[in-house]
Amino acid sequence: MSVRGALAFLLLALAFVLASWLGWWAVPVVAAAWGFLRPAVRRPILTAALAAGLAWAAWLLWDFGRDPAAFARLTGRLGAVFPLPSALLLLLTLLLAALLAWCAAAVGCWLGGALASNPHER
Amino acid sequence: MPATPAQRPRSGRTVLAALGLGVLLYAGLRGIGPAPALGPFLNPATGVWSLVRSAEPPARAEARIPGLGAPVRVLVDDRGVPHVFAASEEDAWRAQGYLIARDRLFQMELQTRAASGTLSELLGARALEADRATRRRGFPWAAERGMAGLDSGALIARAARAYAQGVAAWIDQMGPADLPLEYRLLGARPAPWQPINTLYLFLQMAYTLAWDDQTLLKLQVRGLVGAAATEALFPLNSPIQEPIQPNGSRAPRYDFARIPPPGRPDTGALIGARRRESLELALGWQPGPRDEGDAIGSNNWVVAPRRTAAGYALLAGDPHLELSLPSVWYEIHLNVAGATDVAGVTFPGSPGVIIGFNRAAAWSFTNTGADVRDFYQETVDDDAHPGRYRLDGAWQPLAERVEVVRGRRGEALATDTIRFTHRGPLLREGNRWLSMRWTAFEARGPGEDFLRLDRAQSVAEWLEGWKDYVAAAQNGIVADRAGNVAIRSTGKYPVRPGAGRGDAIADGGTTRTDWTGFLPLEAYPFSLNPAQGYLASANQQPVDPRDNPHYFGVDWYSPWRALRINQLLRADSALTPESMRRMQTNPGSARADAYVPLLLSAAGAIAAAGKGDDTLRRAAGLLGEWDRRYTPDNPRAVLFEAAMAELAPLVWDELIPTERRSDSSARPVAAPEEAVLLELAADSANAWWDDRRTPEVEHRDEILARALRRGFVRTLHADGAPESAGWRWGNAHHANLYHLLRLPGLSALGLSVQGGPSTLSPSPGQGTHGPSWRMVAELGPAVRAWGIYPGGQSGNPASARYLDRLPRWVAGQLDSVLFPARPGELPASRVRSVLTLTPAVP
Repeated sequence: MSVRGALAFLLLALAFVLASWLGWWAVPVVAAAWGFLRPAVRRPILTAALAAGLAWAAWLLWDFGRDPAAFARLTGRLGAVFPLPSALLLLLTLLLAALLAWCAAAVGCWLGGALASNPHER
Repeated sequence: MPATPAQRPRSGRTVLAALGLGVLLYAGLRGIGPAPALGPFLNPATGVWSLVRSAEPPARAEARIPGLGAPVRVLVDDRGVPHVFAASEEDAWRAQGYLIARDRLFQMELQTRAASGTLSELLGARALEADRATRRRGFPWAAERGMAGLDSGALIARAARAYAQGVAAWIDQMGPADLPLEYRLLGARPAPWQPINTLYLFLQMAYTLAWDDQTLLKLQVRGLVGAAATEALFPLNSPIQEPIQPNGSRAPRYDFARIPPPGRPDTGALIGARRRESLELALGWQPGPRDEGDAIGSNNWVVAPRRTAAGYALLAGDPHLELSLPSVWYEIHLNVAGATDVAGVTFPGSPGVIIGFNRAAAWSFTNTGADVRDFYQETVDDDAHPGRYRLDGAWQPLAERVEVVRGRRGEALATDTIRFTHRGPLLREGNRWLSMRWTAFEARGPGEDFLRLDRAQSVAEWLEGWKDYVAAAQNGIVADRAGNVAIRSTGKYPVRPGAGRGDAIADGGTTRTDWTGFLPLEAYPFSLNPAQGYLASANQQPVDPRDNPHYFGVDWYSPWRALRINQLLRADSALTPESMRRMQTNPGSARADAYVPLLLSAAGAIAAAGKGDDTLRRAAGLLGEWDRRYTPDNPRAVLFEAAMAELAPLVWDELIPTERRSDSSARPVAAPEEAVLLELAADSANAWWDDRRTPEVEHRDEILARALRRGFVRTLHADGAPESAGWRWGNAHHANLYHLLRLPGLSALGLSVQGGPSTLSPSPGQGTHGPSWRMVAELGPAVRAWGIYPGGQSGNPASARYLDRLPRWVAGQLDSVLFPARPGELPASRVRSVLTLTPAVP
């Protein structure tokens, strides 16, 4: 990945971090915007998915870092509630962000492409 | 930014992405199946994972509360207990509302909704029938009437308002991480907290403690064996007299009489039983607690200074309630200079302290179990849509109230018209109408009494502050630093015309059957500084009928726990806080002391008569090895319990409905108290001993031996050989603390505890009820106290204090309760959080 690509990836991940504070729905919004803009990076849709997953992982890591014991208690008890292995619940969280971003970026990308191919409508 | 060919979207992928996005957005917004909406739930910024951030209170924080008169300082100690230092009682209650909402908001709302019939607004249509039953019981009517009748300057009115301000302040200031897990699972938000919620809470508690309604059981039994036998099986007075109010005897008195043989079925009563049964269903009354034996009971006792090692009065309290997570209790210390300095536990939603101590006194309660609810059969003008009811030969208008039960989106799920006579709610039952009168509906400002107790500076002040308490009747026990000890069974006891009893359906057509008033305070069971030097209550009949002829109720719990407590208290004249603590989990059993010799004697008699076999001999041998203690590793308690479980249907086979007697697993419609069974055991040839399902005529010893033999065989099948781990009491029986939503993942199940049926730490049945707040207080120059409840202060499952007390509760240990007079007295090493509450700027 180029420096430019890495920077774009990190900026996008940061955007996901901040957008998540507004609500989970902001993840597909940011991803769709990213896709719509069709940035000149390799595999932009996959980039969006990875950046969203990373952003939510960053949130989880931040909470883990604040209080590892509380985090372990919470994951353990949530896992027992559903019931799912705790690790799977964490994975599901990251997967949700990644899938939301992937789908929204793909749709945004298609929309951007469609409009770009018909400049009169833009 | 031009797209390269490689970036050009492929249509198949786009369709897949669009579909996927649709599914994800739906799952994110609405959830799939029982799962919550995944988007807000899993979002780590504001969703369930953020609960980690609110797991522990911040080391230092400030918050504002509207209406606060002056700053309030709160120090949270290392047990999670807030110590509130305020300038006025109102400010202390505001802070209390804020703090308890911070730790227990969902619990507060859930239990309030249970009492107001609005659970459906939180849980959806699955709670509809429970809500309708609550409204038919008249709870919203009673709470609103109570609130409207409250003087705005009344102590409870001021407290409820202040408390609500504190709760509202917390709800307003909640950040995303503060939303309790349960709301996230349900996809709900907290409802605003109103002062009336405090009244709902006390109604709910009265409902919990006024569960025991014997009329239905007695009607069912009458239908099977007639009136005379029923009266003997469910007697007005306990056959073992060990009353709360000392009767001058140093030992229990056994008032055994001959129990009349089963009589002819009373078909009229059978009809009544069915009627009453459907009425109970209409009311949503829970029949469960009888299955839990005396686990919904309590213990308390006090010891005068002359019987303690240090020469200071000692008090022990131990209410047995439903074991839930979070606990029904919340521990707090409220300090208001010159007014109140009280610590102990309270119900989330209730201002002040319910059970606890201050600088001068300590107190606790057990349930009296008095009969304070009556039914009246009414004549109405229109059977389908009554508007009037007949009273003393004239028609009286019925008050009406339309109850609309709403769902989660505010939609109407059901609309019911509830009617009221002058007695209370009118209930449809089959083709008849019954009205209900209950003392809990007569309380004006429930909860105020507890606030007065918090201020009491002596036993005398405590008793005075408690004298107007209405429901549910409680055996309040108290000790003070001057060495006084007292107990009084307090609550409004209805005075009824005629024989004065309330255990039958009365004629509603006349006011002559109405209550004529309430017993005067002087008639309440009471004792102050008795010669014996101690007092105790354990839900037994409160007063010896030879000393006090008034009607308080019927069919009292067997006094096994009372017998054991008094036995231990009589045996020790140098009690210490530590010995009081050990008593609370004493594994001995007066019930086992009474029945084991009977079972062994019966087995011996049967063997001597040549009717025994090896199985019975082996069972008797194993039971004979038992030390009659319910310790977790005890290998024989399980055999005794199995034998006792077999005994009831063998003896009371006449109480199994005729059409089910051929079913070997059928149980009696009701089992008389085991004290009555002991009374029967004194009469070995009584007709009740005959099992009418067999051709031969049995006597006592044959039935007792058969129960032991069957219990042994059942235990062998269920738990393996007597030497196996399955016979360990701790493996065979458990305590179970269910989460409020019954989610196993948030519950603590299968706990191996010390204690069994009718021990001082009772753990019968499903193990869902038991000791909810064990406390010991020493009334010395400085009051010292120790206490524990199962669970922890926080309702947040991520918190260390969600379950931190559980291991010590299981082990029967108590925590030392910190009671600083000033903030500076709390050791810095034990302060975990400091919160400063300041008045909100308008």
